[in-house]
Amino acid sequence: MVAFKETEILLNGETMMADDVEDVDDEESESEPEEVALSEPAKNAVYNKEGLLEKLDDISWPENVEWIHKLTVDHDHDQEKEIDVNDDLARELAFYTQALDGTRQAFEKLQPMGIPFLRPPDYYAEMVKSDAHMLKIKGKLLVEKKKIEEAEERKKAREAKKIAKELQAQKAKERAKRKKEEIESVKKWRKQRQQNGFARGKGDEVDLAFDDFERTKKRRPGVAPGDRSGGFARKRGNEKGGKKREFRDAKFGHGGRKGMRKQNIAETTNDLRGFNDGDMSKNKRRKG
Amino acid sequence: MGKKRKHEEASEAPKEKTAPTRPQRTLMGWKEGEVEKKSDSPVFRNKEKVLVTCSRRITYRYRHLMLNVVSLLPHCKKDSKVESKESKGATLNELIELRNCSSCLFFECRKQKDLYLWMAKSPSGPSVKFLVNAVHTMEELKLTGNHLKGSRPILTFSTNFDKEPHWKLLKEIIVQIFGTPKDHRKAKPFHDHVFVFSIVDDHIWFRNYQISVPHNETDKVDRGGLDKMTLVEVGPRFCLNPIKIFGGSFGGPTLYENPFYVSPNQVRALEKRKKAGKYAKKVKAKTRRKMHEMSNPLEPDEFADMWKE
Repeated sequence: MVAFKETEILLNGETMMADDVEDVDDEESESEPEEVALSEPAKNAVYNKEGLLEKLDDISWPENVEWIHKLTVDHDHDQEKEIDVNDDLARELAFYTQALDGTRQAFEKLQPMGIPFLRPPDYYAEMVKSDAHMLKIKGKLLVEKKKIEEAEERKKAREAKKIAKELQAQKAKERAKRKKEEIESVKKWRKQRQQNGFARGKGDEVDLAFDDFERTKKRRPGVAPGDRSGGFARKRGNEKGGKKREFRDAKFGHGGRKGMRKQNIAETTNDLRGFNDGDMSKNKRRKG
Repeated sequence: MGKKRKHEEASEAPKEKTAPTRPQRTLMGWKEGEVEKKSDSPVFRNKEKVLVTCSRRITYRYRHLMLNVVSLLPHCKKDSKVESKESKGATLNELIELRNCSSCLFFECRKQKDLYLWMAKSPSGPSVKFLVNAVHTMEELKLTGNHLKGSRPILTFSTNFDKEPHWKLLKEIIVQIFGTPKDHRKAKPFHDHVFVFSIVDDHIWFRNYQISVPHNETDKVDRGGLDKMTLVEVGPRFCLNPIKIFGGSFGGPTLYENPFYVSPNQVRALEKRKKAGKYAKKVKAKTRRKMHEMSNPLEPDEFADMWKE
């Protein structure tokens, strides 16, 4: 037991023997005189057991004093030696369990006596720490909580971003695949028709792979009725004079400025599409 | 009431004529012979009063600790700083008598670094000197609990206190000093905090927790409430290392000496000596190397003159 205690204390670093100080020349052998020196003063220490017990009898309160005066509770640690002093968490946990257990026992003793145990929430009296101090504590706790929450949110956002990116990549792949399939199906259909001689009416074969087209049209709501590009021109995005450009492209094909067509024919007389947007676009040369 | 007592004494007197004649001082005053306390008369009153003082040149941390202890014990009287070192025992005993106290907590700070705590019972009682470590005061923001000022604490001890006589004595002293008397005028009615004294590694660790129960029915705490009880630490925290137990108050024969106690001065001296050894070692190593070189000369190198002009 003594040897165990010695090693524990040496690990502590708190209590280091220095009695035989003369032979501290070599640092390597310093540990040895330390351990040896510990046992010696241990034997020289005064330990007057009878005196102690006598004094105990002198000062102690009479035996039959009621418990309510003392309010002491004993708690049994199941594992004594396992509480390492240097392990903060374990030590504090041991103290906490001791306190909790003690309070429960005390409560069980107090309840039959009918003594009010806990403070009711409407009992206002002076507390050991001032209100200002408690406000400070509250502030600090809130700040800490906030920090933790923010950190968690940031983590979640990062992860969500990752997942979103993956999803997006998948979607893009799928879209590309679908486009390919559609084109393939059209080609196939054409081939088939070619093989079968173009003579059939709109029979079953027409419905071959055209359901996809129906679906895909739904997914592209931005296709205007005047759009003659088949819906794939959406990639253009927004440029300046976008509508005008679109209209012109649809009318005259992509590329080509004002078109080489006639400007004054039956179809174009009632066609006012180009005129409305003229108000929106600015004339650079106009003043003001 | 008094007469009743005497009457009872007289009836018991014939039995105790043979008992030792020295009157025994008990809390009730001087009694003739060994009179046991009557369990029938509930006249036991805890008239404990603690004098709390400190030495001069105490640092802020320990002063705050002392103030925290003062706020925890409603039955204490705080006194001004005590001067001299030599006649410390006599001065303090006089001071205790003067203030009509029955025990004393004396915070002695040495070299503005080490705090020693004396716990003494007044007229002839034993006294203990502790070295205080690991001090955390109530003002630390991590100790978030709060309790009524003056409410009676529940004292919990670990069972190691009943193992050896010196621990038993310490337990008794602690109970008497740290326990608030029941009918003290500054004592508040509820029990909302717990003191923890436990012995780990031959040190007495002190903790103070607030008992908090969710507020649904705080008047009648049933089984369910009991299970939801949590403890929040209020502070202060400290760790006591017993050095010596004396038979008298601030003096007297030594009843117990802690064999594993090393004074902080010695600890510091040891560390310094360790560091001092560094330079000496270096010098010695140098001379050793020189001797070694001199005794084993190198063979002349065959290529030494290769690049010489």
